[in-house]
Amino acid sequence: MNPESPLIHAKHVFRAAILLLAVLIAMLLGRSLFVPETWGEFGPYRGAAVAEHRDKPIRHGGNDSCAMCHDAEYAEHAGGEHASVQCESCHGPVAFHVDLEEGEVVAEMPVHRSRELCELCHLRLEARPADFPQVDVREHVLSNGGEFTPDACFECHDPHSPI
Amino acid sequence: MARHDKDSARPLIPISRREFLNRSSSALAGSMVIALILPEGSSAGIAGADYDWDRHRWVYLIDTTKCIGCGSCVRACRAENSVPEDMYRTWVERYEIPAEGEAFIDSPDGAEHGFDPVATGLSVRKGFFVPKLCNHCDATPCIQVCPVGASFATRDGVVLVDPEHCIGCGYCVQACPYGSRFINPTTHTADKCTLCYHRITTGRKTACVEICPVGARRLGDRKNPDDEVIEILATQRVEVLQPELLTRPQAFYLGLDMEVR
Ligand code: HEC
Ligand code: HEC
Ligand code: HEC
Ligand code: HEC
Repeated sequence: MNPESPLIHAKHVFRAAILLLAVLIAMLLGRSLFVPETWGEFGPYRGAAVAEHRDKPIRHGGNDSCAMCHDAEYAEHAGGEHASVQCESCHGPVAFHVDLEEGEVVAEMPVHRSRELCELCHLRLEARPADFPQVDVREHVLSNGGEFTPDACFECHDPHSPI
Repeated sequence: MARHDKDSARPLIPISRREFLNRSSSALAGSMVIALILPEGSSAGIAGADYDWDRHRWVYLIDTTKCIGCGSCVRACRAENSVPEDMYRTWVERYEIPAEGEAFIDSPDGAEHGFDPVATGLSVRKGFFVPKLCNHCDATPCIQVCPVGASFATRDGVVLVDPEHCIGCGYCVQACPYGSRFINPTTHTADKCTLCYHRITTGRKTACVEICPVGARRLGDRKNPDDEVIEILATQRVEVLQPELLTRPQAFYLGLDMEVR
């Protein structure tokens, strides 16, 4: 063969091509290993993460989620001064008390029969809006003729309808 | 929402149709019980799994003149989202401001156990509570600094973290000017308020909004033409935290004071 023939260089081109191909395959392999499946579905992030956030369990069901089993408390509460205070705010989330899939009670609902519960909202504080009903608890109990005990508030107020 | 129904051909996110069918048939029995106990969400335009994120744009409104600092929101957030102890996705700050001199600011345990009276020694002339949470900024530095794309914004305006992809480097925690992020000590990944994405996409309010006894926290939807919160943003004087940073927060405040950062 004529040593001047351009085919003499075909070997080099071929080698370079093989090398390039190998690099390309390595890149694609690496990409498929390290880039998550749903990457870029909606933007520069893993698309499946959106669904994962959406599928988290619901734990607070609102007052209506208690109505089915506690209609007396529900009705009393809805007509009282505490209507705007959620059941779950004083007790706890429904999902910790009832298995929402089975509809069965799985744990006791906390009952905070203590003036500390009332004080969370009604203890007089300088930073509280002045028009919100708040009391100097000790003074309030004594001046109404009560005894200042840990569950004093319940002697005179029903938590579900305090007036 | 006649206006919204027109473009119902748009793809539903984030569950693909087939995946949804597969899942729903197996979960049917369970979901019927859930439907009995959990009242259906009432937010306009949402119907069960048919959530279309192009039809919502969530915003948040905080009325500091109403907040009583009871901490119900902090407790509800922790319970709803399994927020680890000593970490907070939302918290409440107390401000007691004298006529002259330094203001007194505190947030004991993020207000999880409410507030006790404090003897500040100041002659306080104004006091108030300021609930805080992620501002879900439109131009947020936390997404920009993430080296791996684990922080992102959904099309309906919620800034989220992908805990699977996060490497826990903490850049975003540093970058957030509002202190809204932390490294979760259990998963060692960045953690933050999700605006209860699992709730707002199923027609519910966020846990903190739902639990607030005085309506100090509210959720709004810019794409709902009848939204009361959007009406307030349009007609009243609202502020955002640190507007000079140009992060375009989507949490708006009524009754903010210049002491609040
Ligand atoms: C599926 C029915 C069901 C639902 C829903 C339900 N409960 Fe109950 N709850 C029960 C039953 C049954 C008991 C009695 C269990 C017991 O005494 O151990 C109970 C007990 C209680 C108690 C008393 C606990 C005690 O120690 O005395 C409280 C308080 C309570 N529930 C609050 C709630 C609240 C608040 C909700 C809504 C967020 C709710 N429950 C939803 C069935 C239900
Ligand atoms: C302001 C706080 C508060 C709210 C709001 C509240 N509860 Fe209660 N609840 C209490 C306290 C405190 C007790 C214990 C009262 C007692 O022992 O006298 C209690 C007791 C109960 C009990 C047990 C009754 C009994 O006699 O053993 C049930 C059931 C209950 N609540 C359900 C509800 C439901 C349902 C709602 C919402 C419709 C609700 N509660 C809202 C504070 C509250
Ligand atoms: C999570 C906050 C919260 C808790 C806890 C709470 N309350 Fe209330 N309470 C309220 C709100 C909100 C109102 C309505 C205030 C209004 O109408 O401006 C209210 C109203 C009242 C009123 C009527 C005040 C008036 O002048 O109209 C009384 C009395 C009262 N609560 C007593 C209690 C007692 C006693 C407890 C403890 C069992 C308690 N509250 C626990 C939030 C709370
Ligand atoms: C001995 C009875 C008695 C006890 C105990 C009692 N209260 Fe009262 N409370 C009253 C009466 C009566 C009123 C209405 C008249 C008034 O405002 O004093 C009232 C009113 C209130 C109000 C409304 C005040 C306002 O400005 O509108 C709140 C809040 C309140 N109580 C909270 C509590 C809390 C919290 C406790 C427990 C630390 C408690 N009460 C214990 C009798 C009592």
